[in-house]
Amino acid sequence: MRLSQRQKQLRDHGTAAERTAMRLLIALGEIYEADRLIPITSAHVAGASYKMVGDPGLEFIEDFAAGARVVVPTTVNPLGMDLDRWREQKITHDFAAKQERIARAYRRMGVRESFSCTPYLIGNRPRFGDHVAWAESSAVCFANSVLGARTNREGGPAALAASVAGVTPNYGFHLDEGRRATMIVDVRARLRGHRFSLAGLLAGRRASGGVPYFRGVRGTETDLKWLCASIASTGDTAMFHIERGTPEWRRARLKGLPRTRITERDLAEIEREFTTGEDADIIGLGSPQLSSEELVEISRLMEKNRPRIPVWVFTSRPVRDEARRAVDTIESFGGKVFVDTCLEVTMIENVSKTVATPSGKGAVYLPTLCGQKVVLGDVARLFRRYAA
Amino acid sequence: MKLTGRAVSAGVAEGLVLASHQPMSFLGGVDRESGVVTDGTSDLRGEAVAGKALVFPHGKGSTVGSYVLFGLAKRGRGPAAIVNERTEAIVATGAILGEIPLVDGIDVSLLRTGDRAIVDGRAGAVEVPGVVERPVVTAFLRNRGRVLVVKRSERVGTFRGMWSGISGYLEGRESPVRRARQELREETGITGAHLRARGPVIRTRGDAVIFAIHPFLFDVSARRVRLDWENVEARWVAPKEIAKLPTVPRLADALASVLAGR
Repeated sequence: MRLSQRQKQLRDHGTAAERTAMRLLIALGEIYEADRLIPITSAHVAGASYKMVGDPGLEFIEDFAAGARVVVPTTVNPLGMDLDRWREQKITHDFAAKQERIARAYRRMGVRESFSCTPYLIGNRPRFGDHVAWAESSAVCFANSVLGARTNREGGPAALAASVAGVTPNYGFHLDEGRRATMIVDVRARLRGHRFSLAGLLAGRRASGGVPYFRGVRGTETDLKWLCASIASTGDTAMFHIERGTPEWRRARLKGLPRTRITERDLAEIEREFTTGEDADIIGLGSPQLSSEELVEISRLMEKNRPRIPVWVFTSRPVRDEARRAVDTIESFGGKVFVDTCLEVTMIENVSKTVATPSGKGAVYLPTLCGQKVVLGDVARLFRRYAA
Repeated sequence: MKLTGRAVSAGVAEGLVLASHQPMSFLGGVDRESGVVTDGTSDLRGEAVAGKALVFPHGKGSTVGSYVLFGLAKRGRGPAAIVNERTEAIVATGAILGEIPLVDGIDVSLLRTGDRAIVDGRAGAVEVPGVVERPVVTAFLRNRGRVLVVKRSERVGTFRGMWSGISGYLEGRESPVRRARQELREETGITGAHLRARGPVIRTRGDAVIFAIHPFLFDVSARRVRLDWENVEARWVAPKEIAKLPTVPRLADALASVLAGR
């Protein structure tokens, strides 16, 4: 890998954190056969929930933060709890204390306290063609597919190193070749709402790590958020194209690609497959965190169908503050709107054994990360089903 | 003996080898306080990685494994060095954060638990002082699609009673192909063999030696063979039958490499 004078300088004579960051980026670059390190315009780091990283992660982050300072705008993934309302989430004092230390460490580095898996909704929104270093698989997929920015699926430390060094190794999704389609997915079903999650679960599994090219799909940005989250959960997919829908579809190169088809029946089947429970204790909405439009939608659904089981809604602080009225409505009907955290990185297992959710990503991770059974379904249907 | 690979994490460290044949998970696979392997499916279960030159093919499992490796290194319970066949991001990240020298691109089957190894994470090399490399030639004779294998006698120094190609040690700086022809002459009486292919060097581990095998393929016009004291039986076999015979290590690989290289 070729390094510039300035990069060599940082590697050999930077602060301890800068030297570590450069060593890590160079080694990863060598492993993935990058030719050089390229500047990034933003970073999004993962590894913030104490539930996910545990004491080893806490230890690393505190150590690293001691001498580190981010040099590009950097946001960070959800924590394991709402920093203000963790008691309502039945989080223990020990967990909360350690979680607060992780949050403090990121703050000390200059990371923006977004605690969000939807950075693109709250001001960390790369432009077309920007190179960025993002962790959080759903946001990576959104940045590549919907925004046309360029990022690999970074691990937490690699994204953090990039935020401190301001560069990332040039390989994979930073290169035109890495962004070509690997499979054509003909969607022969009407995709709307929750079905984007179902289609994502299927396509992620079938494309296993490749770049699917969808035909017959039209969706809003919110719809694509759900498609991204699901598709990145069942496979390592970091990008897709939608014919006439996403910014790089003309560059996908379809000649000779294998094809697959998604039908109504496939969608119904995958929903059944991921529905492992029967009677939910709680409705969990998030994974990824909701947008303000979605909060408004949820408030209307709750007005119409007052739920008989608890409803936990996850969003980011800025979105909650923007949608204050919807949040108040949700809370007035007994729902709880938590910020700083999300569906499966918090301790939902402290209050529930079966979660009802429309999130495909939630359906993948709730069983393994939270020991939950799942009722997967369209959100309006779930509210009708669990109406008082 | 020096094995060369690729430098991943800098630094030089020496330690006794602790070798696994399986991919390794640090989250849940290694106790983060003691550095003892807890993974019930691992061939290193119950072993402590602390201070060892830890050898395994590659990492697996959760990315939190990087933090575990870092934590072990920080409290002095980490491996002194790591040697991999093919490092992936989880182990590379943990090794760099924990300042553990790491070299990959090494055939880990050449290293055994108990070897003393010096892992040079700057040069990308692993030095194993107690083990020497012995270069050998192995020549396959072919006639009408069949290949000659011979059964080694009880009077030879190594691999007695096993099936092999025509083989012998390389002496000094002599050319491998000349040595191969000489062994053919001595062990089979054949002189007019026609060289068809040579394969890349294949290494295999003996006790305190690593054999570096130079494989060759010769075509011959007749199947008549005159054995000397080194072998007791000769057979012309189809290449795929070799896998069924008790052979010297990696004989099938050596044959496959010359057949493919043609």
